[in-house]
Amino acid sequence: MAKKDKEDNEFRPTGTVTVLVIFVITLIAIWGTIYMILVGRGGTL
Amino acid sequence: MKQYQVSAAEKKFIGSHILVAVLALAVGSLFGPLQAFEHAGWDFYVYLKPLIKSYYQGLTVHGVLNALVWTTFFIMGFLTFNVIFGLKRPLKNPVLNKVGFWMMVVGVVVAAIPILANEATVLFTFYPPLKANWAFYVGLTLVVVGSWVEGWGLFMTYADWRKENKNERTPFIAFASLVTVLLWQICTLGVAVEILTMLLPWSLGLIEGVDPQLARTYFWFTGHPLVYFWLLPAYISWYAMLPKQAGGGKMFSDTLARLAFWIFLVLSTPLGFHHQYVDPGVPPAWKFIHAILTFGVFFPSMMTAFTVIASLEYGARKNGGKGALGWIGKLNWSDPSVASQLLAGILFFFGGIGGLANASYNVNLVLHNTAFVPGHFHLTVATAVTLSFTGISYWLVPYLTGRKLWQPKWATIQAWVWFVGMIVFSNSMHVLGLLGAPRRVPLNLAPYVPAEWNSRLFQVGLGGAILFVSGLIYLVVIYKTATNKERVETEVEVPIAESMQDPDSGPIWLDRWSPWVYGALALIVIVYGPVLFDLIKNIALTSPGFRVW
Amino acid sequence: MSAQNMHIDSYERNWMIFSFILLAVFASAIAVAAFGMEIQVPAPEERVDPGTVATDPNSPWSNPGLREIAPGKYDAYILARAVPQWEYLPKEITVPVGSRVTFYVTSPDVQHGFKIQDTNANFMVLPGQVSKLTVTFDKPGAYNFICTEFCGAGHGVMYGAVIVTP
Ligand code: HEM
Ligand SMILES: [Cu+2]
Repeated sequence: MAKKDKEDNEFRPTGTVTVLVIFVITLIAIWGTIYMILVGRGGTL
Repeated sequence: MKQYQVSAAEKKFIGSHILVAVLALAVGSLFGPLQAFEHAGWDFYVYLKPLIKSYYQGLTVHGVLNALVWTTFFIMGFLTFNVIFGLKRPLKNPVLNKVGFWMMVVGVVVAAIPILANEATVLFTFYPPLKANWAFYVGLTLVVVGSWVEGWGLFMTYADWRKENKNERTPFIAFASLVTVLLWQICTLGVAVEILTMLLPWSLGLIEGVDPQLARTYFWFTGHPLVYFWLLPAYISWYAMLPKQAGGGKMFSDTLARLAFWIFLVLSTPLGFHHQYVDPGVPPAWKFIHAILTFGVFFPSMMTAFTVIASLEYGARKNGGKGALGWIGKLNWSDPSVASQLLAGILFFFGGIGGLANASYNVNLVLHNTAFVPGHFHLTVATAVTLSFTGISYWLVPYLTGRKLWQPKWATIQAWVWFVGMIVFSNSMHVLGLLGAPRRVPLNLAPYVPAEWNSRLFQVGLGGAILFVSGLIYLVVIYKTATNKERVETEVEVPIAESMQDPDSGPIWLDRWSPWVYGALALIVIVYGPVLFDLIKNIALTSPGFRVW
Repeated sequence: MSAQNMHIDSYERNWMIFSFILLAVFASAIAVAAFGMEIQVPAPEERVDPGTVATDPNSPWSNPGLREIAPGKYDAYILARAVPQWEYLPKEITVPVGSRVTFYVTSPDVQHGFKIQDTNANFMVLPGQVSKLTVTFDKPGAYNFICTEFCGAGHGVMYGAVIVTP
């Protein structure tokens, strides 16, 4: 049990972070593109 | 260790849910490709005329059967299984659950009659003053109430378990399933009130008119949490089952998973105005508050992404996975259930991005009711959810029936074909939406379609064709499995990932229901109360019904 | 079960903090667009009786169309209807480039939508309610407005246009 816990504690989810970084970059790019369309079209009041 | 034995009768009961669900998917999904083909200029509706009068009638069938029937039946079956198996005890009152199930079945039939008779071509959102035959509203009510009754049966089972296990942590799959059921019970109050106080008496001729703005507000009270009712069962599988199936994964954080479900319970309902950003009758300040809360509910999904991926990575690394991304190849892709759910998860990233854009208050001005919206939700409900559910069925059906999965290779191919078809379909729908193409329009006939949309409209049709092939493969595989002569040698093992930390080590408040439930109700009162109060105070039942389809 | 503190992996904690900041940044960007650049969603304007809104002589929608309220500034009263046929009244309006047009749209029958292509005007049209947004047309051309909510058999052919002359 102790050994197993140690093994679990040493696990660093670096691959997870890589996947999520790619996700966040895509998110910002797509969301930003649509936001810029909105801003480019001007006010509504 | 032998796993808990679910009784044969209960397996059959759960299986009946899956059967109805798959039948609904089979019929409902048929119209998806027809709609996609129409966009590309290939019109099949002329051949359907004797049965289906219009594109819109088909779209009603598609929306109701896929979004309401396929999902609700699969979910109630799967959650019932999770509660029984998670708590390791039979249903407290199986008759009650059966009554609920049959109410739902009768409801579907009662609603289907007017839909097929072209007496309820109001789409699955049934916005008044389009007025369907009363049977349509009665049928929907029966489905909702039946699902409540089934939910009560699950709560009673839990209450008994709790009495005997005072100080124990609720096993995760049971816990998360019960939260999902409770969320459903709270949020469906919206449509229940809409139908019982307005639409049903109106369709029966007891009142002259309805208030369309109030009706929309009731509808979206239910409409947004509805998507969490679809999604959370897939999350349960991703959190607690997929890591095990994908190879030696463990739940990276049991406590955060539980916290995420509580946040979903609290935040799923009080944000329905994000479907009404461009409604005339709701004040912008309240819309903005709902926008912020919508961002809040994005947060537990971000947590879910981390926990689920880390759980998968843990197993993959133990199996020798290397590199920043190379470990992904070590996941058990040859298992069709795993491939389905991983592909579902990948497309869900893009579904999440589109959803966040839709939800971003004024950004909705660019997207509202454009083809972007169906582009988005075919990544979420029609892929993240549907492909996960079909993936689950690849182990659940053999488990329930004792019959071997027919041709696992074809099952895996099915998932990949859906993935590819959906990329083609959904990408073109998103782009069309950004170019200004509206949804719910047979675009081939629309007089205002510019030539620059044509290549994208063709891709919609192409994607629809690929998806059609995948749907067919799924039906063949599941039919051949359910009737397979080859039986499994031992009962299929239910994939349950153990937790990396001892679940008992988490804080006690993660197992207390009342603060979260009261919190959820209080938040609903705060952010819905004033606007609903105003709308009800100024109710104007001035819209008579219209049958203009 | 004992009272314990929440154990959160440091990577995951950082991810949660980062997610929070990211969402806060997006929310701020929206707020800037809404309150700084006046890109706003519709607000409650007026309630009307759908039974009489198209016929009552005192209702602007009994005579829908364009009214110039100041040089270069217009109010456009538009009726979206499904009965007797699916159409906008008027189907076409013409304004010179640079005009600022405020649209007031309502329906005497079912729900409709109103989306002017290539602009930020995109909203629901409900019987009993008036939807209002303003657009400044800076470039000449024809801007179709289309119906974006299912309103019956003719929903797909329901459209009109704003013609912006140079
Ligand atoms: C076989 C693959 C599928 C294809 C090719 C397909 C295609 C389409 C298309 C083209 C539309 C847009 C119609 C329009 O806006 O005019 C649509 C709408 C819709 N689809 Fe699908 N679909 C498929 C499967 C699914 C599945 C599996 C679900 C849900 C589980 C689903 C749920 C919906 C819903 C809720 C709508 C909106 C209906 C409405 O606007 O009233 N679809 N589908
Ligand atoms: Cu219309």
